[in-house]
Amino acid sequence: MAKRRVAVRGRWIVAAVLIGFVITTAAVVARRSYGDQVAREMSGTDERLRELRNERVRLEGEIRDASSRARLVPIAESRLGMHLPAEDQVVILPRQARRGGIP
Amino acid sequence: MVFPNRLTIIYAALLLFAVALLAQAAKLQIIEGERWTEKARALHFDNDTVPAPRGPILDASGNVLVDSHELVHLDIAPKEIRDTQKAATLLRAAHVAPALIQRAVDPQVKWVSLPDLFVASDITALASLAGVHAKTILQRDFATTGGIRRIVGRVGPDGRPLDGIELAMDAVLRGDSTREHRAVDVRGRRMDSPEGWISAPHPGASVTLTINETLQEICERALARASDSLQAEGGDIVVMNPVTGEILAMASRRSNPLAVANTAVSEPFEPGSTLKPFIAAALLERGRARTDEVIETFNGQTVIEGRLITDEHKAAQLTLSQVIQYSSNIGIVRFSQRLSPREKYETLRDFGLGTATGVPLPAESDGTLREPFRWNRTSGSSIVMGYEVTVTPLQLVAAYSAIANGGELMEPHLVKEIRSAEGDLIYRARPRAIRRVISESTARDVRQMLLQVVESGTATRADLATYLLGGKSGTARRTEQGKGYVVGNYTASFVGLFPADRPQYVVLVKIDSPRHAYFGGEIAAPVTKVVLRAALAARNAALDRAQLATAERVRLPGSVDTLAQAGEVAAAPPEAVEEAEVATEEQRTARGPVVVSLPFVAHPRAVDQTERPVPDVSGLTLRDAVRALHQSGFRVRLIPQRGSATLPAAGMPLAAGSIVKLQHLQ
Repeated sequence: MAKRRVAVRGRWIVAAVLIGFVITTAAVVARRSYGDQVAREMSGTDERLRELRNERVRLEGEIRDASSRARLVPIAESRLGMHLPAEDQVVILPRQARRGGIP
Repeated sequence: MVFPNRLTIIYAALLLFAVALLAQAAKLQIIEGERWTEKARALHFDNDTVPAPRGPILDASGNVLVDSHELVHLDIAPKEIRDTQKAATLLRAAHVAPALIQRAVDPQVKWVSLPDLFVASDITALASLAGVHAKTILQRDFATTGGIRRIVGRVGPDGRPLDGIELAMDAVLRGDSTREHRAVDVRGRRMDSPEGWISAPHPGASVTLTINETLQEICERALARASDSLQAEGGDIVVMNPVTGEILAMASRRSNPLAVANTAVSEPFEPGSTLKPFIAAALLERGRARTDEVIETFNGQTVIEGRLITDEHKAAQLTLSQVIQYSSNIGIVRFSQRLSPREKYETLRDFGLGTATGVPLPAESDGTLREPFRWNRTSGSSIVMGYEVTVTPLQLVAAYSAIANGGELMEPHLVKEIRSAEGDLIYRARPRAIRRVISESTARDVRQMLLQVVESGTATRADLATYLLGGKSGTARRTEQGKGYVVGNYTASFVGLFPADRPQYVVLVKIDSPRHAYFGGEIAAPVTKVVLRAALAARNAALDRAQLATAERVRLPGSVDTLAQAGEVAAAPPEAVEEAEVATEEQRTARGPVVVSLPFVAHPRAVDQTERPVPDVSGLTLRDAVRALHQSGFRVRLIPQRGSATLPAAGMPLAAGSIVKLQHLQ
């Protein structure tokens, strides 16, 4: 009778160890899967960030190009009939001292 | 003897097996652990170098001239592609040529490398297909003006700098690359894993140049128009701040599209008459001549040291001032005979000729300035006329800057500051005077001569309606390989100091081998005027407008009251006013662009320098006084002193076009 009780207790221990092993393994696998997923997301975000930075540089370059004198002056001259003012049409006003203030 | 039973043998065998396993495991893990770990790492991870993005290059105002951005290069392995239909559709969407698409989806072809580079966001779906191999490439994105590339240089496809600032400043621009450690699957494809890592590369520092992008564009545009209309082989324009030594613009153009070098520093030329003011400065500095000292010029033709020398402006005699004003070869050769060869050499050397300026641009030329013991019998006279000596456009501008700033040769510089990627200041340029070449009074005298060159000398076509401009034109014959000096092949140049009283710009315009016309005063001087007009009209062209507002100016007589508030100003003689008014009216009614069309038809301005008495303006209003002085052919400078007296006093004889100072405070 006593021998049988010992055998049952041994089985419970083995079962508990097995369950512990399964839980631990599952936790390790879950953690690793989570880590992989986060790594994928981070990598994707990094990739997207790099793409957006490149896009920004490209768009800034296009804006620079579109708003540059090299692009605008010929258009202003040919389409709008504008011209550069002669030097006597440019009046630079001397800066006046502020009344009652520091010049 | 007792034999073990079968169970014992099995146990023993299992035990031995376990021991063997343990021993092997210990051998692999402990003894050979490191080797196998390395092998495993090599199989499971891929190490790669991640290049750092090169730092941007900016102009003086902080505008980006060149920056780095990533593009994607695609290689396609057609055999690995599963869905050819989808791949073909995505390739078409990426604007790949049909012939290449056909090859890219042909399973008989092993590998197709697409020549174009793509923006990553445009080809996300394509790059994710099996069989499509993407490789990121860092590329430099240039500013709009093509000429700026001659300054900033180029970077090769492998990321190595080839020339320009890119090469000279590579150590600070390239940054620190880093390593990438990524997990790979059994086929060697990269996969995301927490065990992989990538440390961010440290981008290169930003380099801010002294170049003003607006002025650079103005110069490039003016040069392009002049070169095209004159069918010239090319030309250069350099603009420098004479006070600080900052190079504000440096435009070069050559008809040969393969000539991409910065010729303003790499291609020396014989400067011709633009060298004469340095000889005049040497004469004044050493007290060997006065500005009003007269010398015989033999009606424009004479033989000196067995060599026939001629002048365009035929005169029996000229003052030193007029020698520069009319660019007299005879006059400068005869005056220069008062200088020894060593003195001539030292003068030009002190002005920086024959020595590279040291700007951070590869292949800068020293020019040529031979020592006197290498001169032949006629070298002395050739050199003072601007032959047998070669200078780069930058050297010439730097030398004129010494005249412009009161006599100090400033070190030209192109890099304004360098900042790390985090914005910390690494380097900031400071103005540095190399040496004092001439005294302030000599510099002032030479500037006055240069003013007369534009007012009534060889470069009247550079004359501005409102501001005084000093300058000197030059026309030099060009040589060809094996032929020597070639008839009809010239370098036309003009160096301008703007404004003449306190120059903010020294501008050199050089046109190589122009057709139709060749005098520097006729074709290079008007280009200078175009540049200055556009710079005055531009919002930011590195001009100190507060200083310009008080600068000595030529003005219409009707606006005297407003000028009186501006302080010391000068007014134009009547003929200059008329010219200005006509030009303004034409420009106001013109519908098209107002630019100076080249080549110019010469309209020589009659130079009336006869002496006449200064009129008595006492008791007149300021407006009437200025008008009376103009009608007498004088220019007027208002001085803020009480009274209405003139200097020289009324009745004194004075040459027409001279400045009369007029007190204007009541």
